[in-house]
Amino acid sequence: MRGWRRAGALRHSRLQFVLAVAAIATAVALPVVLVSVGGGVSAHELSNLENAGYQIVVSAPGVHGITEAHYYTHKILGIPGVTAASPVLSVTIDAFTPKGAVTPVLAEGVIPDQFGPTLSPAEAGLFPLPLPLGDPTDLVHYANGTYDGPATYDVMVSSPYADEYHITTGEKLVLSPAANRSLGTNYTVTGSFGVPPSVLGPTGAFAVLLPLSDLQTLTGLTGGNDPDAADTIQIAVTGSISTNPAALAQVQSKVQGLFEYYGVSSLTQEAQQLQAATGVLTGFYLALSSVGITIGLLFLALVLLRRVEADRRSIGIRRALGIPSRTIAAEILGGGATLALIGAVAGVAAGYLLVEALATWASSAVQEAARLAVFEPPLLTELVGGIVGLSLLAGAVATRSALRLEITEALR
Amino acid sequence: MTPAEAPLIELVAVTRTYGRGSPDEVRALRGVDLRIAPGEFVSVAGPSGCGKTTLLNLLGLLDSPTSGEVRWNGEPVGQRTDRARARMRLEGVGFIFQRFYLLPTLTARENVELPMRALRVPHGERTRRAGRLLEEVGLTGRGKAFPHQLSGGEEQRVAVARALANEPGLLLADEPTGELDSGNTQAILALLEKVRRDHAASLVVVTHNPEVARRARRHITMRDGAVLEDVREA
Repeated sequence: MRGWRRAGALRHSRLQFVLAVAAIATAVALPVVLVSVGGGVSAHELSNLENAGYQIVVSAPGVHGITEAHYYTHKILGIPGVTAASPVLSVTIDAFTPKGAVTPVLAEGVIPDQFGPTLSPAEAGLFPLPLPLGDPTDLVHYANGTYDGPATYDVMVSSPYADEYHITTGEKLVLSPAANRSLGTNYTVTGSFGVPPSVLGPTGAFAVLLPLSDLQTLTGLTGGNDPDAADTIQIAVTGSISTNPAALAQVQSKVQGLFEYYGVSSLTQEAQQLQAATGVLTGFYLALSSVGITIGLLFLALVLLRRVEADRRSIGIRRALGIPSRTIAAEILGGGATLALIGAVAGVAAGYLLVEALATWASSAVQEAARLAVFEPPLLTELVGGIVGLSLLAGAVATRSALRLEITEALR
Repeated sequence: MTPAEAPLIELVAVTRTYGRGSPDEVRALRGVDLRIAPGEFVSVAGPSGCGKTTLLNLLGLLDSPTSGEVRWNGEPVGQRTDRARARMRLEGVGFIFQRFYLLPTLTARENVELPMRALRVPHGERTRRAGRLLEEVGLTGRGKAFPHQLSGGEEQRVAVARALANEPGLLLADEPTGELDSGNTQAILALLEKVRRDHAASLVVVTHNPEVARRARRHITMRDGAVLEDVREA
């Protein structure tokens, strides 16, 4: 208590004390929330990338930008070390249940026997493998570069969709590219699959999975500008190559050799890009938060200046007695730093509690993100240390004012 | 002061002008020569605005002359840095103000210890000396009281104890009884005489009070920024 009386120049103005602490706490809470949640989501996505069942991905600009997907899949599978190549086409279509309910669903077209090996262990647990879809190679329907072969018209449905509309295996679904049943085709439900929780992007809770050629035929992505279209081709390699960056780069290079204009990237590169993006985003969050922190520190400077003004006589007495300027400066700076420390620690605590509240009570997407929040003690310590350091600048203004007081004027 | 006796502090042709060159220019001191010897008890009297407080501020190194020279133990202090002058005040000067000027957030004992703390006097010595000084000024047992819990007379006693904390050679008192009733005035005057004698310090008192002035052995009268009379008692 005695020490506080000496260190705290604000003992006699609790309101100013509380307001200064609140201003700094508010300024600190914002970056704590942004960085912890943003960092947590990024770490989660990074973990997903690192645990994916594929190591190389082919992508193309535009919607369904890859053409000749079956042809290139066959070519990729010929590259030594490649164990699976799974083209994926994602399209939103309309589904009509036997009871007549219609709802948009996310349809994913895949080559059934290539899809499984490109799943992560966590995803693989959501699917019955091998997938219960007829034509596992998709080469019966898509035979010899045409769609003239017989289609099986098998489809799998996601569990949330099946549960919501009481769809069971063996029932018929009508899938249509538009909300018009007469444009649709009858499919037989052959099984269901689970939906992984996803923080970024749509959850795809209502989804169906069917052979790639079936979905291409259904949506007209078979010819014209989009012959044999897909969005990506995910490529899995052997274990020895996946853990050898040089060998992986070699496979990546060979895949790239097949495509002149498509992007071919390894997940290692994507992870690096994500990490770089996370770094940029963290910097952006901190830059955004610096506005609040600047305002908080300006407020602190104002409070300290007001205290110097109010303690004018006391400062004059001390200086008249011969108390060294550095002692007076240390008291003012110490008072400011103490306030900043209390405010910063309160801000970290407030940010933590806010994230906990979001994780408990917010709407689903925000809640999911908040649950992934990561509080990194070194980063938080740096933040608190930075605030305390900057408070010395705020205190310097008040200190300068105190040390420039004319003693004889202050004593009048 | 005998001619051979070296002065503790000396003002040589000192002037002090406020607001120089402005229409409101005030010439507070006009060529003052003054020598204060060790152990002297000097009263400074004169009408309001005659320059008494300015003189005291210059003697206490709180202010600098516009021209002329201030010497401490024969050494000019004009070229000293603010830091050096603060150190000289801390070690060599005790101030007693009319309005006491105790720090309101510190207890009586802490106020007394303040100059010693700045001089880094060890804790044990500081506590012992503060206790002795409070006893000397008759405030044993009041060390834990804050200024607002003390009477005016008690506050001025604490101020006297604080002024003596670092055993200065010069005590400067500006109207030390100006805010006190007659009973406390007598007590403070007796105390000032006693501590001056016991601590062998020079005492310069600025006062309007003839009773205070009567106790001094040397009487300086000022008018219009100059020393009108400087009378030593035999």
